[in-house]
Amino acid sequence: MQKKQFLTPADIALELDISTSTVLRKIHAREIPAIAVSDRIYRIPAASFELYKAGRLQSAQPAPLGRPRPRPRIGEGESTPVAVGVAAVRRA
Amino acid sequence: MATIPELQAYLGDLSAILWNFGAEFPCPTLDPYDDGSHGFVISALLPGSATPKPALIKLMETWEPSREGQYALAEYDYDFIEHPLDRRRGYHRHDAEDFLREFGVAVHEHCEEVLEKPACDHYMGLPIDGYEAIRRFTILWGQPGPLGCSKLQCIG
Repeated sequence: MQKKQFLTPADIALELDISTSTVLRKIHAREIPAIAVSDRIYRIPAASFELYKAGRLQSAQPAPLGRPRPRPRIGEGESTPVAVGVAAVRRA
Repeated sequence: MATIPELQAYLGDLSAILWNFGAEFPCPTLDPYDDGSHGFVISALLPGSATPKPALIKLMETWEPSREGQYALAEYDYDFIEHPLDRRRGYHRHDAEDFLREFGVAVHEHCEEVLEKPACDHYMGLPIDGYEAIRRFTILWGQPGPLGCSKLQCIG
């Protein structure tokens, strides 16, 4: 059987042998990562649950500073209003 | 507006959110650019089907110096390319002056029900940040059905 990509709070509750409301509390406390589809509906990526069970969830750490480099061109290759006007697509 | 330490914290936060969804990407850095601005690029591969390629969340931001020690968000490119479902959603701010002059908005969106076959090049959008981009992309992630591009306002 193909492994599910996403789990529900009820799936998690069953696996951890706890109540669904406890799972929801853990989601609200950000102990279990979840996608809030709406105010009441949550979806938990199976990968997130595996990380949770393994105690391998990451806590946020400030990102390091990198080395100086050229500024990347955001939107490169995309048609822009000016480019559309001249029927051209900007390229590097 | 943000200071460099605040941007480092913000980038670290975005990274942790994505890693905790099982996304794979190297630890990003907040890079100083040659024109005095700072920015970052994240290209995160999401778990799940890798056929034909894994789904990708790309987050790029460039922050320009504003007041003393402060930076203002100048450009962004948030893209969700869901190869397994052959579609794309994007939120962009670049070439803001051109877009403002032509369409009256600095930002725009992309929406492709079929990847690389957009019904419209640019859709009307409102500014968002990296958190909101991740929230919107992950709601779509792995969910079959239309993205709803036809309900967006095409601006050209």
